[in-house]
Amino acid sequence: MRRHSTAPASRTHRAASPWLFLLPGLAVVTAFTLYPFLTTVHQAFTDTRTLTGGSWVGLENFRTMLDDEQFTVGLRNSLLYVVMVVPCTVLLPLLLALLVRRQIPGVTFFRAAFYTPVVASVVVVSLIWAWMLDDRGLVNGILTFLGASPVAFLGDQWLLLFSAMALTVWKGLGYYMIIYLAALANVPPELHEAAAVDGAGAVRRFLSVTVPAVRSTMVLVGALSSVAAFKVFSEVYLLAGPTGGPAGQDTTLVMLVQRVGTGLNGRVGYASALSLVVFAITLVLMLLVLRADRREEPT
Amino acid sequence: MPISRRTTAAILPLLLSSMALTGCGGGDDGGGSRADGKIEGKIRFQTWNLRANFKDYFNGLIDAFEKKYPDVKVTWLDQPAENYAEKLSADAGSGNLPDVVNVSPDLAHPLAKAGVLMNLDREKASSRYRSEYTPEAWRGNALPGLDGTYAFPWYLNTGPMFYNKALFRKAGLDPADPPRSYDELFSAADTMARATDGEVATLAGTPSVEDFGRYGVQLMNGDATAFTYNERKGVELLTRYKKLYDKGGLDGQALTNTPEKAGQKFLEQKVAMNPGSAHDLETFKRDAPSLYKNLGITEAPNNTGKPNMYVMGLAVKENSEHKAAAIAFAHFVTDGRNQESFAHQVAIFPSTRGSLDKPYWTHDDGTDEGRVRVASAKLLKGAVNYTPVVMSDEMKTVLQNEVAKALQGKKSPKEALDDAVAQSNKLLQQG
Amino acid sequence: MRRASGWEKALRYLLLLAVLALTVGPFLWQLSTSLKGTTEDIYTSPPAFLPEHPTLDNYSGVADIVPVWDYALNSLKVAVANVLTNCVGAAMAGYALARLRFRGRKAAGLAFVMALLVPLESIIIAQFTTMRELELNNTLTAVVLPGAVSALNVLLMRNAFAALPYEVEEAAVIDGANVWQRFLRIGLPSVKGTLAVVAIFAFMGAWDDFLWPLIVLSDSDKFTLTVGLNYLHGTFANNPRLVAAGTIIAVAPLIVMFACLQRYFFRGVGEGAIKG
Repeated sequence: MRRHSTAPASRTHRAASPWLFLLPGLAVVTAFTLYPFLTTVHQAFTDTRTLTGGSWVGLENFRTMLDDEQFTVGLRNSLLYVVMVVPCTVLLPLLLALLVRRQIPGVTFFRAAFYTPVVASVVVVSLIWAWMLDDRGLVNGILTFLGASPVAFLGDQWLLLFSAMALTVWKGLGYYMIIYLAALANVPPELHEAAAVDGAGAVRRFLSVTVPAVRSTMVLVGALSSVAAFKVFSEVYLLAGPTGGPAGQDTTLVMLVQRVGTGLNGRVGYASALSLVVFAITLVLMLLVLRADRREEPT
Repeated sequence: MPISRRTTAAILPLLLSSMALTGCGGGDDGGGSRADGKIEGKIRFQTWNLRANFKDYFNGLIDAFEKKYPDVKVTWLDQPAENYAEKLSADAGSGNLPDVVNVSPDLAHPLAKAGVLMNLDREKASSRYRSEYTPEAWRGNALPGLDGTYAFPWYLNTGPMFYNKALFRKAGLDPADPPRSYDELFSAADTMARATDGEVATLAGTPSVEDFGRYGVQLMNGDATAFTYNERKGVELLTRYKKLYDKGGLDGQALTNTPEKAGQKFLEQKVAMNPGSAHDLETFKRDAPSLYKNLGITEAPNNTGKPNMYVMGLAVKENSEHKAAAIAFAHFVTDGRNQESFAHQVAIFPSTRGSLDKPYWTHDDGTDEGRVRVASAKLLKGAVNYTPVVMSDEMKTVLQNEVAKALQGKKSPKEALDDAVAQSNKLLQQG
Repeated sequence: MRRASGWEKALRYLLLLAVLALTVGPFLWQLSTSLKGTTEDIYTSPPAFLPEHPTLDNYSGVADIVPVWDYALNSLKVAVANVLTNCVGAAMAGYALARLRFRGRKAAGLAFVMALLVPLESIIIAQFTTMRELELNNTLTAVVLPGAVSALNVLLMRNAFAALPYEVEEAAVIDGANVWQRFLRIGLPSVKGTLAVVAIFAFMGAWDDFLWPLIVLSDSDKFTLTVGLNYLHGTFANNPRLVAAGTIIAVAPLIVMFACLQRYFFRGVGEGAIKG
């Protein structure tokens, strides 16, 4: 929100109309996201099961977490995901945006094509990747053709996790590229030219002109992608399988929520407690990034 | 944060009602109707991934039933293979379960425990059909600790073991003499790994709970209240698997292979043996003609003399509004005539008394399908469902993950199984 | 503008083509697999990109198992409804949050931000229970409702409206236009691009969703395409050609739709819609 000190509406619309505007959106979000989430918050302190109501157990579920080896594994993987994926999703799409920024022949085609992975569903994209990374899939076909020995991408704990990360970055490239394009539209080209006249090289130009100009956007992208990376589910679930790769070592936190809380014997109470932890950590990530943003541009 | 008083006032009732809501778990729509009432009304019937291949069979079945009982209208629902348990739990949790549901014993157990399935032994309207089914099948749907049978036995299946004769020959093994016991299996796998320098694995997956059962491991204590597969024999089996894994006797992706994936490895001839069902013959013929020419069929290695079988059943919802019609329909689908005609369409086996003595299952007609069918039918007599019905998906995952840790060498087989048993027993007690 | 030198241009196009291969290549590989007949080996080395005897058999194979057209129609209904509700609901809420001043505005904004952070996997059963209380299970309405107005879209619209200069509306206020007139005549036309972005997000989200429609629908006549295609996975997991054909069927309509709308989409982006 900028400049609302002179907002003309303050006089006319004390009455009901703002709430009428908000009604559909607020109703949907409240009824189908916030209200169910309140249920989850409550259940986190009970031993509810899928088919049976639970009784209050206080902090028991949170204590269980401390002894749960899978929780430690999940937390490690989810945090690792943030650490590895976020730098890539902040930098690579920016470079890509610079590449398609200028109006050169065919650029609209390239922009649209780069966006294709975003359009396709995660399920479909993961099926495609699983097929490519298979022992005898495309990637290994190319590797053997080049004389290298095939790599079991889907058999090793770390290779699996890295493959999933690569998939996340790949799928996000187009999405974040668009955000950067929008930001770059506000950077006057003259800045670049002035720097070029000064004889600054491409790297210097990037660091001293581009980066400062899109800094707040980089922070935004960082925020969005770290929240998304921490909540990663589909990519790992579909590549590593429901049990989370060899010995469950590729389980992420949200996968654990799903595994523990679903099925006919699902421990809904424990799963809810895990969801609360996920919620709290994403909230902290978001606040950290927003705070960094505020420091960038003091109001 | 500044929340105005008005907002608080709006949120508070929501909060309170959410607390009240969590009290109710199992859906209760009132008591349901009488089991021995009149056979009439609209009922819903749900199958598990059968529409794609057997649409005509089921439509015919429903037409025939509706002709017999003109006052009943049956709506058929079919769910995709994946996430079936999710679907059932959402429906059961909200009292929305169909009147007649296709379940396996491990799915029936939590549902029955939550009181949403009818105990067939307790009602005369259903228990009178008991003698129509084989005793093993009826018992196969009985649930420990719940005192009764909760589903009409439906189709049975037992997987033959497929093996690749060409790969056997290449490794110097006799293609006419596949391994029958676990001893023979491990020694064949050893030879295979050495002869092909680890190129060809014998098996694509890690041992499942059924393998432990067939090896002769005591899986649970007598009253199914605690797991016991960490006993000496269990450790022995896992230790042998570990040795095999180290030598390259298991596929490189064995730790992550799903059954589908394992099937594909066998299809690609990268793995010499794979459990399957008579279903698969069609796939082999179509997708891998060269494998089909060299296909060997045997039974899964076994130390107990009792093969494993899978049991499917049809359960009736406890508070169905038209219980009498639901019972009649569930019985109709699973009666001798209809089970046999279903089993003529696809390679599954009827659970009705005497069916397997009919010529179709005793006389081999010379085709591959015929041979597999007769061999499997013979196996089914005396077969058991090794998977304990109280073993939830989470407990199966626990076992799978601990087995993987042992194979990776992160834990000794003994430690891994001890941990798996401890975790599973904890889950069991919480349930 | 500075003139780019020849080699710089060549390098740029070379890079563009490399990224193109990375982003679109996998889809083409899938398309190629789906066109290969049963007689053709799909595991060759080097991989064969062009099918030797292209065939549509796999597509008719999919259609034999799954009533693709019925399911696609259901998906289309859901997706179109989702586009309409999101465009209307998000635009209205976004307008109120950005342009109107009233008590509780901050709390309302906060509600949407909180909704963004909730892990959806954990609330699906509670959503189902709510749906049942509304007696909407097993209807396409129930598929649409939870995502009918998504929090992300509301925040996108809020940003778009907030970026409009106030002077434009000032004049209208003086002319005596009421808030609805200002919203319809001045607000909406200036954020057309963002609306296109919201429309595409809404369409994609509805078309791609899997778990929720699976849970809420019982009757296979009402299945959406992603749920219906799952029959393939269970029944024919061993046939990569059929699975490939299924994925192409699922993805092609989205790519076509995006190709048609991409002009508006990129214009929306130019308005700074997604920008913070």
